[in-house]
Amino acid sequence: MRLEIRDLGVELRSREILKNVTLKLEEREILSILGPNGSGKSTLLRTIFGILKPLKGVVLFDGKRLEFDDIAKIAAYLPQEIPQTRLRVIDIVLLGRTPHLSGIRRAKKEDYEIALNALNEVGLRGFEERIFDELSGGEKQKVMLARLFAQEPRVMLLDEPTAHLDLSSQIEVMRLIKRRVENGCSAIIAMHDINLAATFSDKILMLKNGEVHRAGKAEDVITPESVREVYGVDVAVRKIGKSVIVIPVAKSSKNGIRVHVICGGGSGAEIIQTLVEAGYRVSAGVLNVLDSDWEIATELGCEVVSEAPFSDISDENHEKNLKMVEEADFVILANLSIGRGNLKNLIAANLAAKLGKLIVVERSEIRSRNFAGEMAEKIYSEISSKSIIVKNESEILNAIRDLAGRLPKGRGFVN
Amino acid sequence: MLLVKFVKTAALLLACAISLILGISFGPAGFIDLKDPLMQTVVLDYRLPRVLLAMLVGASLASAGCAMQAFFRNPLADPYILGVSSAASVGAALVISLGIGSTWNIVISAFITSLIVSFTVYRLGRHGESYAVLLAGIAVSSFLSGLTAIIIYFSQQSAHEIIFWIMGSFSRAVWQKIWLIIIPFFIGIIYLLLNSWNLNAILLGEEHARSVGINVERFRKELIAVTSLLTSATVAVCGIIGFVGIIVPHTMRLIFGEAHQKLLPSAILFGATLMPLVDLLARTCTSGEIPVGAMTAILGSPFFLYILKRGL
Repeated sequence: MRLEIRDLGVELRSREILKNVTLKLEEREILSILGPNGSGKSTLLRTIFGILKPLKGVVLFDGKRLEFDDIAKIAAYLPQEIPQTRLRVIDIVLLGRTPHLSGIRRAKKEDYEIALNALNEVGLRGFEERIFDELSGGEKQKVMLARLFAQEPRVMLLDEPTAHLDLSSQIEVMRLIKRRVENGCSAIIAMHDINLAATFSDKILMLKNGEVHRAGKAEDVITPESVREVYGVDVAVRKIGKSVIVIPVAKSSKNGIRVHVICGGGSGAEIIQTLVEAGYRVSAGVLNVLDSDWEIATELGCEVVSEAPFSDISDENHEKNLKMVEEADFVILANLSIGRGNLKNLIAANLAAKLGKLIVVERSEIRSRNFAGEMAEKIYSEISSKSIIVKNESEILNAIRDLAGRLPKGRGFVN
Repeated sequence: MLLVKFVKTAALLLACAISLILGISFGPAGFIDLKDPLMQTVVLDYRLPRVLLAMLVGASLASAGCAMQAFFRNPLADPYILGVSSAASVGAALVISLGIGSTWNIVISAFITSLIVSFTVYRLGRHGESYAVLLAGIAVSSFLSGLTAIIIYFSQQSAHEIIFWIMGSFSRAVWQKIWLIIIPFFIGIIYLLLNSWNLNAILLGEEHARSVGINVERFRKELIAVTSLLTSATVAVCGIIGFVGIIVPHTMRLIFGEAHQKLLPSAILFGATLMPLVDLLARTCTSGEIPVGAMTAILGSPFFLYILKRGL
C-alpha cells in the first residue's frame, strides 16, 4: 500500500513534537526512521496509526484519509514496549484479528487458521499453548510480530522492533519484516541501530527535533555530517554494498601528537583504527586509491598521500610522503609487502629510521613479503637496526608511549 | 484435552451446587427438615435469600476484581483495595443518615460516589509503578472508611450499624435485596462477558490494545462504570466485603488460565461458590455471628501477601 504524509504537525501538551513532516512510502518498501531519543519517531508512528490527531497536515493511505477504526483494518502498529502477561501465545496472536471482528468479538475457525499461519511464518508453530511470560526475549518479539501479521496489514508501523534483542534475534526479526514486505506490504520502522536500518531499508528518514533532517537512500542520508548534526557525535561511515557501517571516532587528539603510517594492501587498517581511537592525529602514505588501507584512512578522516589506483609511486608523491615523515612525531612501518611499485615507501621509512622515530611492525619475515629484490631487503635490515620492532597493535601504543617520554617539553602525554 | 476441560467445568458447577445446598441446610435453627412448617419458613424467608444474595455478591465482586486486574494490569487490584467499596459505603451511609435512604437511593448514591473515586484512583495511579495505584487506593480507602464511620456516628446509629457497613454482613438478607442487586449484576457480568476479548487486549497494556484498533478511551470509561456499578450494588445490600475480588480470580487463573473467555465465567461461578461457604462459616462457627467481611479479610490477607511476595 502507498502511504503519503503531507506537512504533518503534531502537538502534545502544547509542545510541538512534529513539524512539517512529509514523506512517501511505496508498496513493498521499508522506510526506517532514525533519530535520537525524543526526536519524534514514536509520535510519528502513533500519528500515522491515528492514535494522535495531527494539528495540521494529512496522512493518506492510497490517497485516502482514514479514521482510527478503519486504519487498524489495513495498518498494524507494534508499540515499543514488550508486554508482560501470562496469556497464552495463541490468545495474543488472535488479538491481531480484533479489527476484523465486528460486534461481540469471538475468534472463528478462519481466525484460528490465520493466527496459526502467522505463528508458522515467524517459526513458532507449536508454541500456541505456551505462556507468553515464560518465553525468551526474541521469542516474545516474534510472537508480537505474529500478532502483527495476523492483522493482515498492508502497512506495518513498528516502533524499535529490535530493541533489547540479541544479535541473532535482531536479524531474524528484521528478516521476517522484510519477507512480509516482499510479499506485498510496506513498513515504517523506528530504529536506533543505524547499521541494521541501512541494511534492511529501502529509504531512511532522519528526524531531528521533530523535523525531517534528511530523507532518501541510506548511502545519501547516513553521512558523517548528518550523523554529527542529528546525533551530535563524530563517526566515520563505511559503505559495504548498499549498506553502511558507522564507526565511532575519537573527538580529541592527544596534544596533537602526529603519527604517520606507511602501509598498504590492508597491512595498516588495524593500526590506523587503533591509533585514531587512541586519539592520535594519524596520516598515511603513500597509498593507492581504493586500496583497503586507503579506504579506512580516508573514512577515518586521516591525511593521506594518494596515488592513482594500481600505479607506481610517483616522485611527486614520494616527496610529499617524505615531508609527512619529517613532520610526524612518530612513523610506523606496517607489515606491508614490498614490490617495485612501492619501494619508495621503504625509502621514506629509512628516513624515519635515521631521524630515530620509526616503529616497525613485523608480523612475518621480510623475505616472505619482498618482491623487489635484494636491494629492498638490504634497506629493510638497515631500517630495522635503527628502529623499534613490535609484533602487534597494542605494542605500538606502548612503544609510542615510551618514545613520547623522550619528546621535547610541552608535547608530553595526557595519560 | 477436551476431557480435562469438561472435568474442570463440571467440578466447578458441582461445587457451586454443593455450596447452595450446604448454605440452605445449615443454620442456627438447625439442619434442614422440609416436613417442619417452621423450618420451611426459615429456609424460604431467611436461608434461601441469604445464600442467593451471597452468591450474587460473590460473583459480582469476583468479576469486578477480574476486570480491574486486567484494566490496571495489577494482580492486586480489586474493588476493596482500590477504595471503590469504601466509596460506595460513604454514598450509602450519607443518604441513610440524611433520612432519605430508600433502597434505590442507597444504590444510586453508592454508585455515584464509587464512580467518582474509581476515576480519581485511576488518575492518581495510572502513570506510576504498579505500587502507585495500590497505595493511592489504600490511602483513599482508609480515608473513606473513616468518613463512613463518622457519618454513621453522627447520625446516632448504633456501633453495630458501623460494623455492618465497614465489615459487611448478609444477616439482613431479604428477597427485596435480591431484586435490588440482580439488575446491576446482570448488566455488569453481561457487559464483561461480551468484552472478554477486549479485556485480553487491555491486559497487554493500553498502547497494545490501541494497536489492535480498540477504542481504549471509551472502553476504559465503560469498565470504570461497570466495575463501580457491580461494587456499589454489593455494598448497598451487604456492606463492604473485601478480598473476594482477589482470592477468586487468582484461584481461577491457576486452573483456567489468563484468557478472559474462560477466566471470567469461572470466576463468576467460583465467586458464587465461595461466598455462601464463607458466610456459612461466619454464621455457624460460633453461637453468635461473625461479620463475613472479617472472615474474608482473614482469608484474603495471607493471599494478598503471597501475591505481593511472588512479585507484582
